[in-house]
Amino acid sequence: MRALFSSLRDGKGFDISLIAIAMVFLILFSGAPLVYNAIMSFQEVDIFNLGTFIRPWVGLDNYRSLFADPSTLPIFWNTVVFVFSSIAGQFIVGFGLALFFTLKFPGAAYLRGLFLVSWVMPGLVVGAIWNWILSGDFGILNHFLKSVGFISENIFWRSDINYSLWAVIIANIWLGTAFNMILLSVGLAAIPRDVYEAAELDGATAIQRFRTITLPMMRSTIGAVVSLGLIFTLQQFDLFAAITSGGPANSSNVAQYKAWEMSFREYDFARGATISVLMIVVVMIASIIYVRSTKQEVRG
Amino acid sequence: MNEYRQKIWTSRLLLIVALGLAVIYLFPLYWMFVTSLKTGSDVFATPPALWPNVPKWSTYAEVWQSKNMARYMGNSLYIATGTMAITAILGTGCAYVLARYRNMWIDIGLFLVLMLQVLPASLMVTPLFVGFNQIGLLELPRTAVILALSAKTMPFFIILVRATFMSVPHELEEAALVDGNSRLGAFCNIVLPLARNGILVSAILIFMQAFGEFVYSKSMIQTSELQPASVGLNSFMGPNTNEWNKIMAFAMMYVMPILGIFILLQRRIVAGLTSGALK
Repeated sequence: MRALFSSLRDGKGFDISLIAIAMVFLILFSGAPLVYNAIMSFQEVDIFNLGTFIRPWVGLDNYRSLFADPSTLPIFWNTVVFVFSSIAGQFIVGFGLALFFTLKFPGAAYLRGLFLVSWVMPGLVVGAIWNWILSGDFGILNHFLKSVGFISENIFWRSDINYSLWAVIIANIWLGTAFNMILLSVGLAAIPRDVYEAAELDGATAIQRFRTITLPMMRSTIGAVVSLGLIFTLQQFDLFAAITSGGPANSSNVAQYKAWEMSFREYDFARGATISVLMIVVVMIASIIYVRSTKQEVRG
Repeated sequence: MNEYRQKIWTSRLLLIVALGLAVIYLFPLYWMFVTSLKTGSDVFATPPALWPNVPKWSTYAEVWQSKNMARYMGNSLYIATGTMAITAILGTGCAYVLARYRNMWIDIGLFLVLMLQVLPASLMVTPLFVGFNQIGLLELPRTAVILALSAKTMPFFIILVRATFMSVPHELEEAALVDGNSRLGAFCNIVLPLARNGILVSAILIFMQAFGEFVYSKSMIQTSELQPASVGLNSFMGPNTNEWNKIMAFAMMYVMPILGIFILLQRRIVAGLTSGALK
């Protein structure tokens, strides 16, 4: 007993117990649900057998009926559009801003940091603000677009099936741009100045310098930023809840919102678990790419 | 002299452009603030005014009263504090061990942590809800949310704090051990104080994240007395709402604590975030 106590205080037991407590917690509340999720996707789960552990096993039936449902494929396609457009928008705007803020002027670091306020805001609040900005009749965005002559009729961002997904994408680009910019700024700052000076002496133009120095030297940062963007975009839920609720007619629904809707709106927990399992696999693949692109740092 | 002046002008011009970019980017936040000060009819004026003729501050008190915001904010605070406490207490030790050793087991542990970091809450909530329901944890819905949320935030915290521990020189701990400290003593007296700032900033980030949490609370907390402000805002914004001045006042009051923390600690938060995600 004494030996055990002393090991906990001053030996291997100290390290093992520190890590074990956290790991047990994570396995209980993250690992076990993950496994349970997979099991439920092979079961018939309804509101009556929700409380019991013994449920009828249905094999792949949930997956089959999911893909037989005509609304499923459009939702997965929406997810793809949402993810790619969001990442592209966040990355391009973020990269542009990051490049701008590498220029030297007073207050650059402070102003750049100020952008990050978008990232710490609760998603629901960001969603509420954009819901109002994008409002059809009285939204400020429509007013602005009309006064500069881009559009002549109001766009009903939230209720027009052609625009509803884009309403959420616009909000999500705004939300993620600052984070992209900050991470890309860090990458840009790590490129040695003298490489640029040497290239300039050799007569390379700004575009050539960007293509032959900046982009190649930023490769691992860009990889990490894009895969983090993928991970965050697939986690996005609050904006859907606050702007369109996936509607109208699923036109702005994506898999991660649909999974929740299935479980908590239609109480079809098996279907919710099935979509979750599919999406978690996608997220896991994205995170493996992320881990690989930041390997030096993680092991570091 | 001429060159010097030119430099001054360039940097002034750049500053003006940067301010312009910041104004455009932060406009949504300004719009939330302005809308909250408009009257019910001002909100629907065309063209929309960038500043109301007569700012109406009383909406804040009205919404605070009628929406019972003290209760919502209390619940958000409760969930955020609980999550931060569990995450920080359990996560710090784990991050320390992951930073101190280099072997295969540590690599496996790190990989697991990174994998758990990316699981979307809206996908995890289904099994968590069913499981918590079966073991009766949904009787204490706020505790259920805290536990679920801690498991979600802890990997992120571990990654951030591990980076902090890596920057604490190993020699200092060795010296403390040679001086006769136990491992526990060296950890508490030397390593923790040196990593204090990093741990604090990471804990604050977790607090801010938990303060804005929505998915778990929305799914697990049914009684409105126990719901946090995010769920309150969501139910306030019905599908055909027209009380935008009130909704924006609600949102303003909700984000005040987060904005305050951010403005106070902006520099540290930015530094902490970037060191965790990549170097």
